[in-house]
Amino acid sequence: MREIVTIQVGGFANFIGSHFWNFQDEMLGLASDPYGDPLFKTQSLNMDVLYRTGETPQGALTYTPRLLSIDFQGSLGSMSSQGTLYNEGSNASSEVVTWAGNISTHASEPQKKNLFLQSLYQEEQNVPMGNGSNGGTKGAQNEIQDTDIVECLNKGVQFWTDFSKVHYHPQSLYEVNGLWMDGKQFDNYGAGRDVFTENLRGEEICDRLRFFVEECDHIQGFKFIVDDSGGFSPVAADFLESIADEYTNTPVLLYAVRSPGSLMNLRSRKQTVVRDLHDAVSFSRLSSFCKMIVPVGLPFLSTSKASTFLNIEDGNPYHCSAVYAAALHSTSLPFRMEPLGPTAETSDASGALDINGLVQMLAGQSRQNMVAILDVAMPAPSMRGKQDEHSLLQNLQPLTPEVAEDVDDLQAVESMTVHGAIVTEGQRASVSEVKNAVNAEYQNATARPMFCHLSVARCPLPIPLPFPSIFGNLVGQHGELLGSPISGSISRGSLDVHSIPMAARLRSSCAILPFLENRLGNLRKFGIQRGALGTDLLRSWGFGKDEVEDFGETLSKMVRTVNPHSEISSDSD
Amino acid sequence: MSLRVLNPNAEVLNKSAALHMNINAAKGLQDVLKSNLGPKGTIKMLVGGAGDIKLTKDGNTLLKEMQIQNPTAIMIARTAVAQDDISGDGTTSTVIFIGELMKQSERYIDEGMHPRVLVDGFEIAKRATLQFLEKFKTPVVMGDEPDRDILKMVARTTLRTKLYESLADQLTDIVVNSVLCVRKPDEPIDLFMVEIMHMRHKFDVDTRLVEGLVLDHGSRHPDMKRRAENCYILTCNVSLEYEKRTNILAFSEINAGFFYSNAEQREAMVAAERRSVDERVRKIIELKNKVCAGTDNNFVVINQKDHCSEKSKEKKYGKAGFGLWRRSWPNDHTIAQIKDAVRDGLRAVKNTIEDEAVVLGAGAFEVAARQYLINEVKKTVQGRAQLGVEAFADALLVVPKTLAENSGLDTQDVIIGLTGEHDRGNIVGLNHQTGDPMDPQMEGIFDNYSVKRQIINSGPVIASQLLLVDEVIRAGRNMRKPT
Repeated sequence: MREIVTIQVGGFANFIGSHFWNFQDEMLGLASDPYGDPLFKTQSLNMDVLYRTGETPQGALTYTPRLLSIDFQGSLGSMSSQGTLYNEGSNASSEVVTWAGNISTHASEPQKKNLFLQSLYQEEQNVPMGNGSNGGTKGAQNEIQDTDIVECLNKGVQFWTDFSKVHYHPQSLYEVNGLWMDGKQFDNYGAGRDVFTENLRGEEICDRLRFFVEECDHIQGFKFIVDDSGGFSPVAADFLESIADEYTNTPVLLYAVRSPGSLMNLRSRKQTVVRDLHDAVSFSRLSSFCKMIVPVGLPFLSTSKASTFLNIEDGNPYHCSAVYAAALHSTSLPFRMEPLGPTAETSDASGALDINGLVQMLAGQSRQNMVAILDVAMPAPSMRGKQDEHSLLQNLQPLTPEVAEDVDDLQAVESMTVHGAIVTEGQRASVSEVKNAVNAEYQNATARPMFCHLSVARCPLPIPLPFPSIFGNLVGQHGELLGSPISGSISRGSLDVHSIPMAARLRSSCAILPFLENRLGNLRKFGIQRGALGTDLLRSWGFGKDEVEDFGETLSKMVRTVNPHSEISSDSD
Repeated sequence: MSLRVLNPNAEVLNKSAALHMNINAAKGLQDVLKSNLGPKGTIKMLVGGAGDIKLTKDGNTLLKEMQIQNPTAIMIARTAVAQDDISGDGTTSTVIFIGELMKQSERYIDEGMHPRVLVDGFEIAKRATLQFLEKFKTPVVMGDEPDRDILKMVARTTLRTKLYESLADQLTDIVVNSVLCVRKPDEPIDLFMVEIMHMRHKFDVDTRLVEGLVLDHGSRHPDMKRRAENCYILTCNVSLEYEKRTNILAFSEINAGFFYSNAEQREAMVAAERRSVDERVRKIIELKNKVCAGTDNNFVVINQKDHCSEKSKEKKYGKAGFGLWRRSWPNDHTIAQIKDAVRDGLRAVKNTIEDEAVVLGAGAFEVAARQYLINEVKKTVQGRAQLGVEAFADALLVVPKTLAENSGLDTQDVIIGLTGEHDRGNIVGLNHQTGDPMDPQMEGIFDNYSVKRQIINSGPVIASQLLLVDEVIRAGRNMRKPT
């Protein structure tokens, strides 16, 4: 078994994670549902890669994500940081056995569970009676209607736990306490500077990680998602540094994510400088402690090409995170496929790849470019699309910001995952059909990469109930793209769309050049040049002149890697 | 006022309002933490919005769980938490000392005194108190064989403020022995070498110390001996198991070609891999035969292959001491609280060994220092700074006062009793059972020297900063409105 340990650091990373685990939970549910689609029952995707089995003190078996999540104290809303599986009931709790003297109780106002969480709770209470299949027992006895739930979630999601249907292990959810600042103040590099080292937080975090790592048989890598828009970036960087130190041979696949909201509201020049410097420093430090980094998060997701078939509000992290989570789900599929060797193939999946394989392929080839671009087609178009209709390659649009378009890069390397693809109405494409279709598209494409690894699974992305209503009216029930819009509401959600075909791609290409050059340029302009505006700011973040120059060197090395002739990479002074 | 021009929403509090805001914040924080102090303090059960329970009597833990918003209170809290980071204890004392300094200052400021003068007095008093502490402390000679009795008394003093008496007393020996066990001459003590583990199915009174290594992995084969004596132990970090998926391995580690071109090549790789594992095992058996030949000695192999990194190896193999306890079906929050208490006990023992000194507890130092300041230092000070010294001296009494208050005693009676007894030439602390003065040396109540020093050092610094604030400015939000 080649396990993955997932790490989520920061607010938006946990929003994405929440959706991601909802997908996994939905897949597990559908696989065990006797009336479910047989596509979800395949053995080709091994859930044990992401999940761990355990046992509560009472002896009940548990199956929980192999996850370490780090967030603010209070960000869990109405969910207990102990999770729900391992609590010992309320009767034991009021007794204090360690102290003979006075006891005072300080209780904060209980967080109200929203309609969705209430319904989950109800369902759980009912499980021992009925045999727990979703379809049959629903309806009459269930007082909370699905439509109400969907509406309630679309109206207001405050915490990522508000729409999570997953049980977490008590070691999984780590809350950073004692910061005494709110999210607004925690928005730049300086705010999170010492958070990891102070108060033995780092020790506790590493202990928890060790708990998950040590029970692995043969870990294939860490999937690390960090919200790098604010103070959690230095926390993650310090954490990554200690991971690199402790688990030297275990590759880290890092997704640096940010919500569209985090990029807005830059009113003054000063704020822009802070933001630009933060981006440069954050990216430079994060990238130096991982094997591959994938920046994810467009400033305007709603109007980007990636959301052609979606209706998204940029200000709503519940919406945006759903798209990114879907893309991350797709890219993680090859890690879970059973490797069968070069020639063997099953009818359900092909193209297994472990994290190290992916990293070697994209970042370890001749050019050694460790920054990858994430592209997604959500939903993926039909595999028998005619040339003039939607083609897969045209529909794959970047979720990585500041990426050049239409770049002809002969040295590009790609890893593509297509799953649940449709041939014609209601019929899933077979693995070989998808392979042929993708090959044909590449044959006809004007710009071809040097190498493309293709992973195919027949199992589509299931849409769980708490998924936001973000599909446009051209998306059908099984995610097929319709010729004419469905009349009625503009946004379709989990009640109308049950699953979608997905395609996602990680590519190492010189299209990333603007992203790198912007960061390098800003660091030079505001941080390194004589009399630069941000020198004092950087010093207050704890970085001296030498360190800042090191960051600059790291960045310009990355630029040179992608484009040896780039003007900016040469030192002008 | 120029700020107003730049930002019309900025709120400016003038001098006296700013000062009172600071004083009130300091007093407020003091009120919250005060009841923690001492062996008669109140344990706090914190229930979070999602029903999470935390149990604590530790000021540090409590502060971190609080959502503090007032900037003054945050400043005090940061100082107090830093205190804990440095010395492992004294958070509550720092907060109540700062609060008391502010409270005493308020009296004088309301009578029209300038904060600057008070601050000058604080500075003089602080220096004098630190000098006095040097004279007052009880030196402990550590040498090769530290005085266990003193260490036990220090540990017990700390533990008894966190756990009920018999549990505290039982943990005392364990705590002292585990620190001594990991102590190496001429090296700083690394408390991470002590692993605290809890076993859910035993009682708190079953807690014990294992002097040695604890490996929590089971044996690899059912026929392995349950008990082995006179062992040679080989620790290594090599792969001794056949890889199940050699194709992935070759792919990832060699990274030459992506796939094998044919099945034979793959078989060859598998065979090669197995051969090298067999070879390693043969080497180990050879070694065993060499060292154990002709004796009854045993041979133990402890192997850790790649998922255990260098550091965790260090952790696993390097740990010498290690307490283990639990209570039948303890709640997680109970376990957490015991762990916190043990950690504090360990720190206290470590501090004592490193300080080579202790300070008499139960308020004895504070009473003595106060009398010293009032009777001797004050006279040497010129002018109004005397009042600053006086304020500082009275603020020191907050420790015995709070101890008395938490024990349900009358604070005035207690202070009069203590100072009276002190002036008769005795060093006295508070007996929290009776309220009478007692000799802490006889009772074996000792505090850490470094903790006391740190409190005396940092308390006045923060208090002075807060007193010297002239204006409080906050852009954009109205401060006077309750939020």
